[in-house]
Amino acid sequence: MEQIVQTLILGIALGGVFALMGSGLSLVFGVMRIVNLAHPSLIIAGAYVTYWGFKLWGIDPLVMLPIAAIILAAIGVILYKLVFEKEAKSAKYSEMTVLLTFATAMIVEGALGGMFTNTQRVTSPDYATDAIFFGNVFIPTGQLYAGLASLVIIGALALFLKHSRFGNAIRATTQNRDAAELLGVNVNFVGIMSFAIGIGLAGAAGSLVSFVFSFFPAKHWEWIAVLMSLVVLGGMGSILGTVLASFMLSIVAAFVGAYFGSTWSSMTFFLALFLILLVRPQGLFGEKPELA
Amino acid sequence: MSQLLEVTSLTAGYDDGPAILDGAHLTIEPGKVHCIIGPNGAGKSTLLKAICGMLKIRQGDVKFKGESLKGLRPDQILRKGICFVPQERALFPKMTVRENLRMGGYSLADKSGLERAIDEIEERFPILRERRDQHAGTMSGGQQQTLAMARTLIIRPEIVMLDEPSLGLAPKIVHEMFGIMKMMASEGITILLVEQNALMGLKNSDWGVVLDLGKTLFEGPAPEVLADPRIQELYLGGKKAA
Amino acid sequence: MMTILTETAAADATSSVLAARKAHNAKLSANADKKRAVWFPIAFLAALLVLPALQFTGNYNYVLHLVLFTACYVTMASGWNILGGFTGYISLGHNVFFAIGGYFAGMIFARYGISTIILAPFAGLLCAFVGYLIGSVTLKTRGPSFIISSLALVMIARILFDHWQFVGGANGVALKSNDLSVEWAKLPYYYAFVILAAFSVWASYKIKHSKLGLGLRAISKDEIKAESAGIDTRTYKVLAFAVSGAFVGMAGAIWGEYLTYIRPNIFLIILVSVNMVLMCILGGKGTIAGPVIGAILIIAFNELFVATLGASELNILATGVLMVVVLLFFPLGIVGTLARHHRLPRILNWD
Repeated sequence: MEQIVQTLILGIALGGVFALMGSGLSLVFGVMRIVNLAHPSLIIAGAYVTYWGFKLWGIDPLVMLPIAAIILAAIGVILYKLVFEKEAKSAKYSEMTVLLTFATAMIVEGALGGMFTNTQRVTSPDYATDAIFFGNVFIPTGQLYAGLASLVIIGALALFLKHSRFGNAIRATTQNRDAAELLGVNVNFVGIMSFAIGIGLAGAAGSLVSFVFSFFPAKHWEWIAVLMSLVVLGGMGSILGTVLASFMLSIVAAFVGAYFGSTWSSMTFFLALFLILLVRPQGLFGEKPELA
Repeated sequence: MSQLLEVTSLTAGYDDGPAILDGAHLTIEPGKVHCIIGPNGAGKSTLLKAICGMLKIRQGDVKFKGESLKGLRPDQILRKGICFVPQERALFPKMTVRENLRMGGYSLADKSGLERAIDEIEERFPILRERRDQHAGTMSGGQQQTLAMARTLIIRPEIVMLDEPSLGLAPKIVHEMFGIMKMMASEGITILLVEQNALMGLKNSDWGVVLDLGKTLFEGPAPEVLADPRIQELYLGGKKAA
Repeated sequence: MMTILTETAAADATSSVLAARKAHNAKLSANADKKRAVWFPIAFLAALLVLPALQFTGNYNYVLHLVLFTACYVTMASGWNILGGFTGYISLGHNVFFAIGGYFAGMIFARYGISTIILAPFAGLLCAFVGYLIGSVTLKTRGPSFIISSLALVMIARILFDHWQFVGGANGVALKSNDLSVEWAKLPYYYAFVILAAFSVWASYKIKHSKLGLGLRAISKDEIKAESAGIDTRTYKVLAFAVSGAFVGMAGAIWGEYLTYIRPNIFLIILVSVNMVLMCILGGKGTIAGPVIGAILIIAFNELFVATLGASELNILATGVLMVVVLLFFPLGIVGTLARHHRLPRILNWD
């Protein structure tokens, strides 16, 4: 019984972090129809920003989080202008952009590797290795803080999308681009801004990742399929769906890991991705197959 | 100059495709209901899309109060006071009715009166108040069309362009939609209507325009267009229609 | 594949139309022949076949290595092209076949000493079979979904191979090298790869002009229309997947013995997949010469890059930049862009 509770706690904590990692990806797909395979590599870029802030000046990763988010959002705008703006009107848009984001991921990986080498790193504030005990069951404080921070950010994002004027414009553009344009929304600007917000979320997620996992530039390949599984299961473009999918899959993966060994816990995500694409490509919460 | 909107020898089409509109012209007078009729593929919807900026104008010009709209984006044209309700009704299916109305006021520079304007709309269209927290995508076709038309009123536009408001609706509901349209016209809004059901459209209009093969063939007061034997034979389903 | 038309030929009207069509096709291909210089690829191949004679004059092992490395990628890129170019299904997971071919032949070589060059065709058959199985599942998706599922495939394969103790897990298995003297040691692999590459180019030409190839190209233009025109799109796609996997598998089979090592991080790294994709897109997706030109340029580019700047991280960066530039400015590739402007030189028109 204790082991079940323990596994559940670890799964939920991990789910919180994955939820933030996936929500930026989901936002960018929803508004721009870009399947951003570079998202995980940008998360790692955010992790490096946080790592150096902590290492050089001793700034707490949670304080670095908004800084990483802003830096990455700026990178997002540059990327959009350089790489994606030209493609935004091509007919085979989504397929072409998958290859473009894939190439972008390689650029980010290569740049990070060139600057910081391929050694494994981890940011180590005190709480990262601490744990809170309830009898024999424990909650690792690092993951607890990361999960809570993630939920706060996602909550703020949800409030922004639901209640702000610009947030409404983003949601409107996601649901019906032409209609939004006809009502006076500058959809191109909404596109750039949501791309920036999405990449900013990657930066924020990177800050959390930096003390929850060890990371190195090439690590993003593992995460591509993990994050895609969350976003596809959640129904491409639905942020709420992505969050729920993160918790579901992370809990399943935690149990698979506990009973069959940690190797197979990442297999859970890959197999899930495979199965969802084949059985229910519109995801749990999507209404129509968006990726077809 | 009594024309509000003037379209001269307009050529337009989709992406790299052939020109759908090939030298169409049109003059819109303020305060009247104009109805464009013509067979499928004549370029009726294309004309509206070109006016509102969704399609690039290849040749010719569209002038609003003497000022060219060429090269402007849809959001810029909307801010000049031209509103377009496309066939698909341009709603946000997963936003509530109230949120859809609020999006209708997105282009307003002054937001202070927005909530009150929405309240007024809800008063005039009780069904929208009743459904205010329901997702727009879950409403019936007639209710969606009502929402789409009512939403244009929020920004007090000068011209409202309606692309087949009757599409897929039961006759009784269609009658209601034309009622809403006439009410808008009575408030001084100029209407540009595209209607597949030519008879019905012309009967509810002041001015009729016949468009075919991308060109304007004929225009005149709606009763004259209705009575013209050539038009009757070609576009109104034979002489017996009269 | 070519058993069409036998029943319909009975009807006179049909057969006369068909005869006219045949004549027309013959005329077209005669015209096409005028624009083509068949002698060029043949001469090119002949030159490569006599190239090892250089070894009599000194040590040119590096040159031989570059040629056989390029030939290996020509094989893989041509294979990938059958699915990605002709059919329009972009797979980023084709290195899975590279691994399957490499491990199959490598393990038999390690245990029984049978040369992987002999085993290569069997590795191809195995990969075609595996490709058929995988393809019948993943080809239910299309567009970005298919690309993502192909990535998932690589991740799954990597975990499986990393933990499969029978094949040495992540450490892999060392293979013994041959006992030829240094200057001749590369020769068997050299000839194997050059011939394999030539075969794959010839085969993809044949496939492109077969009924299968026609169907595949119809799928890449508009799958729904192709289906309504009576093309069994599912079977065609799965066949394309299997055949393209077979070529990659054959290359993998020999590659392991050449490197004297089979290990997951030789076969299952993303750069291998990317190279196949990039070569085809750079050279010209769906053309015959495209993968060859792409392979030559990318390998040259890589060598130059590694020689001058060294670090493999920068190589990844440069490959990424190159890919973005090609995708944005030459999405049709070299052959495709030249052909569109009617400037394709005859020696590069292999279609």
